[in-house]
Amino acid sequence: MLVKDIMTERVIAIDPTMPIGDVYALMEQRNIRHFPIVRNDDLIGIVSDRDIRSVGSELPSSKQGVTLQDPVERIMSAPPITTYAADPVEESAHILRERKIGAMPVVDEQDRLIGIVTGIDFLEALIKMTGVEGATSRLEVEVDNRPGSLAALSEAISRRGVNIASVLSTRKDTDTLSFVLRVGTIDGRGLANELREEGFDVVWPTETKLV
Amino acid sequence: MSAEPTTSAADASTTASGATPYAFVYDPSLGEYQLSDSHPFKPLRLELTRSLLECVGLLDKTHLVTPEPISEALLRRIHTDDYIAVVKTLSAGRSHDLAFRSGLGTADNPIFPGMHDAIMAVCSATVKAVDLVASGRAQRALNLSGGLHHAFADRASGFCVYNDLALGIEHAAQHYGLRVLYLDIDAHHGDGVQQLFYERGDVMTVSIHESGRYLFPGTGHTYELGKNDGRGLSVNVPLEPFTEDDSYLECFEAVVPAAIEAFRPDLILLQAGADMHRYDPLADLALSTRSIGESYRRVSELADEFCDGRLVATGGGGYDAYRTAPRAWSQLWAALSRQDMPETLPESWRQRWQPRSDQPLPSRLYDDLTSWDAIPRQSDIEAHNRTVLRRLRNTLDPVWRERFGYTLG
Repeated sequence: MLVKDIMTERVIAIDPTMPIGDVYALMEQRNIRHFPIVRNDDLIGIVSDRDIRSVGSELPSSKQGVTLQDPVERIMSAPPITTYAADPVEESAHILRERKIGAMPVVDEQDRLIGIVTGIDFLEALIKMTGVEGATSRLEVEVDNRPGSLAALSEAISRRGVNIASVLSTRKDTDTLSFVLRVGTIDGRGLANELREEGFDVVWPTETKLV
Repeated sequence: MSAEPTTSAADASTTASGATPYAFVYDPSLGEYQLSDSHPFKPLRLELTRSLLECVGLLDKTHLVTPEPISEALLRRIHTDDYIAVVKTLSAGRSHDLAFRSGLGTADNPIFPGMHDAIMAVCSATVKAVDLVASGRAQRALNLSGGLHHAFADRASGFCVYNDLALGIEHAAQHYGLRVLYLDIDAHHGDGVQQLFYERGDVMTVSIHESGRYLFPGTGHTYELGKNDGRGLSVNVPLEPFTEDDSYLECFEAVVPAAIEAFRPDLILLQAGADMHRYDPLADLALSTRSIGESYRRVSELADEFCDGRLVATGGGGYDAYRTAPRAWSQLWAALSRQDMPETLPESWRQRWQPRSDQPLPSRLYDDLTSWDAIPRQSDIEAHNRTVLRRLRNTLDPVWRERFGYTLG
């Protein structure tokens, strides 16, 4: 999954001369927290609702002396931290976390603004990647940490005509990988029991022992 | 559906004496929704229940009502034209490029000849049950062959090809202008029905199920509240595996009466899957037949209290065919028809069906809980379910307060 798959394309860019108060009114009106700042088609900065609020605040801040009538370029973050549309989402999410920022303008290879991506978009991506959107059963299997383990598991599942909607993996210890799969069958337990018979270590669903 | 509600032959024979208030919708063709020989969704469950009810004298010919075919126009109000075309093509034995995308030809939803007609028969029976109650010709009606709650507008899922419940709800809404409360107590989340009415202001869906963290279909979280006009009208109670009777009834009581009181429906449609039982091979809620019966009786009381008794029920899941489904669903019919199910099951019934079952058929209606091993972590499970209720209140109450002036808490 790439940044272009999760970004908002219809981004509102602001001129650096726009008064801070007007920028804030636009944020409120559109329910938006970040605007990229563009001068003559060049992306030069980004401004957040937090930057603006500190202007209106009596609390001490670096924005002392700035008024709501001043141009937004006085308080924007410049140059902005950007991400490329073709970056993988996990890489881009790292930047957001390392720099502790809420959003990044998305640029193409010529550094032209083509979208914006926010922390919420990355959460959205996480939800999509875990595959809980389609009707599926959860299957958790532990396999040896060696070549072919996942292939053998997916082969055994596909042989039963069951689709695998998503796979998440974590390393349990040096020798063991734990896979959480979402599989397209209502009879997750039936599938689990058949996999056990083939020797797979299925952690969920549990074996039926209740009677 | 014809513009005027029609009366079937079985119906007419009883309307002369003032209409049977309790209708058991039945037709031998309903047994044809058998997805494959070894498939766990067994129409046989219907025969086992009917035969048990006849043996104990709770069901006779005066209750039976034959379904009538429904119109394709109604079907098209719920399912997309493209999807219906795929089902018909596959049903006629031809292949279709969109089969897999439509959820058909999978392990859960194998393709079988005559599939379209077999499912339409099930849908007709549910619509008939709703029609009888909506029109006032019966107060209660049951279609045990129905309950296909996983079917979506354009996709088969979880043994369900067309959504008979959605068709019934739509019929009540469109033809009679009724507000329907859909209550789904199947162990699996009622995702198809919820999705189909997610933005509707005239239908509330309430689903109590084993959490999607563990069980198919994976949805049914407390934050799924409905959208737009439907905001606050989707209610979900996702329970822990191994919830057992006491915690189940506590959660049921905390949510169901309040939902009915808040929404004030004209009619309640109950999807009464029986797969929350301890013997069920597909799910893990581990209830006994006593709490399952309790939940039916409670819904019956609430229907009397809030919507003049108007209650329609269907079957659903329930994959322990011989021991569980008949004991659960005989109580369902007893609750609907205001009769009492005897606690001892007749020898004649057991003798008739025992040869076909791998397991000894129970002689008692209620499970003997003392014979079951205790499930560990019971207090953790109860505590977790109470957290689920708290979460539900936190998300739902602000929306309900605004919408109904009423809260769960």
